[in-house]
Amino acid sequence: MATLGLFALGILTGVVVHTFVDKGPAENPYPALPKVEEPQVAHEVVEAIGKDEPQTLAKLMPAQMLTDLDTALQPIIDVRTTKFVGAVESEGRLLSAYVVTGKTTEGADFVVGFVLRVANDQVVGVN
Amino acid sequence: MGRLISGWVGTLLVGALFGFVIASAAGVVVQDSGLFGASGESPIARAYMLGLLERNPNSIVSIRPNLGIAQRAAELQGADTSRNASAITPLSLTYIGGASAGPYAIHIYAVGLRNSQGVDQFFPLALTIAGGKVIRSE
Repeated sequence: MATLGLFALGILTGVVVHTFVDKGPAENPYPALPKVEEPQVAHEVVEAIGKDEPQTLAKLMPAQMLTDLDTALQPIIDVRTTKFVGAVESEGRLLSAYVVTGKTTEGADFVVGFVLRVANDQVVGVN
Repeated sequence: MGRLISGWVGTLLVGALFGFVIASAAGVVVQDSGLFGASGESPIARAYMLGLLERNPNSIVSIRPNLGIAQRAAELQGADTSRNASAITPLSLTYIGGASAGPYAIHIYAVGLRNSQGVDQFFPLALTIAGGKVIRSE
């Protein structure tokens, strides 16, 4: 009983020590922009990626942007999941961010993040 | 008596280690999931972004892959030139979001800058973190 009590006391000590050691992210000295809803046009692009629909994607983006998208998704060639993580807006320019998981050419699991730039209800760039 | 005390101390230490590990794991889960108001932002990602915006390569040397001496020297030169010319004024730094899969975590930021010509720029930066280091920034 005493041993169990000591073990529990030890766990409590460990948790307390962790709260002092783990300080979290440093203070952000710069202003942060408010989050906005996912732009519909960006949602359609990412839906086509997630559903593996190249025909739809071809209609939504010009050739140069498809090349940029390919670069952003490297080394993933087989997309398994897509997740919208957030969007922000500054003076009419929207950035809509996504995380994609999938398989590389070697069959390894990988995760990448990419961002669609949106202006005037159109996707105007991929990062 | 001595063996009894050392047994107690050992139990206490093992418990403390266990508690520390549990608290760390719980912290990571809470951060990643955004539970209890946590943003999910990684301290490593934030430190890296602040180092970039403050043009201070020394502050991020421990959280990015090792570079050769020539690359580090060139980086310091670039940072000095940029600081002296006051070429860039950071306007905003926004954590958009992130997610993790296996050993990799993705953290995406939006950065607002004013360049030396007074033109405002607004662009994203996605960081990939693995093993406590930023292994990819694009």
